[in-house]
Amino acid sequence: MKNNIKVERAIKNLTQEELANKVSVSRQTINAIEANKYVPSTLLALKIAKVFNKTVEEIFILEKGD
Amino acid sequence: MTHKLLLPNRFKKIGWLLLIPATIAGIFVSLQGYDSFQITIKTFALLNTQILGSREFFSIIETDITNTLVGVLFISGALLVGFSKEKNEDEYIANLRLTSLIWAVAVNYLLLLFCFLFVFGAAFLTVMVYNMFTVLIIFIVRFNYLIYKNSNTASYEK
Repeated sequence: MKNNIKVERAIKNLTQEELANKVSVSRQTINAIEANKYVPSTLLALKIAKVFNKTVEEIFILEKGD
Repeated sequence: MTHKLLLPNRFKKIGWLLLIPATIAGIFVSLQGYDSFQITIKTFALLNTQILGSREFFSIIETDITNTLVGVLFISGALLVGFSKEKNEDEYIANLRLTSLIWAVAVNYLLLLFCFLFVFGAAFLTVMVYNMFTVLIIFIVRFNYLIYKNSNTASYEK
């Protein structure tokens, strides 16, 4: 699964830390999601999408083989 | 998304305060021989067997409790360290915790399997003594290593 959190953060001018605080997780978690090392729970995916005022599908994209 | 079975973060510090002295004492006792340092008191025994074969249930016996003390301190310390929440416990940390636990159990039993195959005689007793503690040790080391590695890779990015 891909995601464009990094791009969305740049648009909103948020650091990893600021996004992490908004969805109440640690900065490492956001970093791991951006690096595609960790797939967030549905709950966290929904929260992140809410911060960017987008749908989950606009932030997280399935890849071939998923 | 944090786990119900974990203790609050403050127990982690108490855990380290028990675990570190217990580890030092444990290394000391195992290097000096298990009988080198004795604290003999009367204590309650659920079961006490003699080498000759006599068995006592529910009795008060007089025995050396050095190993008991070190073991109890070590296990309680390691449980507190391993199963207290991190300061920033979230679903990713929970994921790291689970991964480390699986890793620790697998590595521990692979090591034990290796010892089963190639260690014989009295030396195997030593293996059994260490094996009582290795799952917890491997888990704590692996989990803290992953957290450390992770906080390092996270630091260069804005």
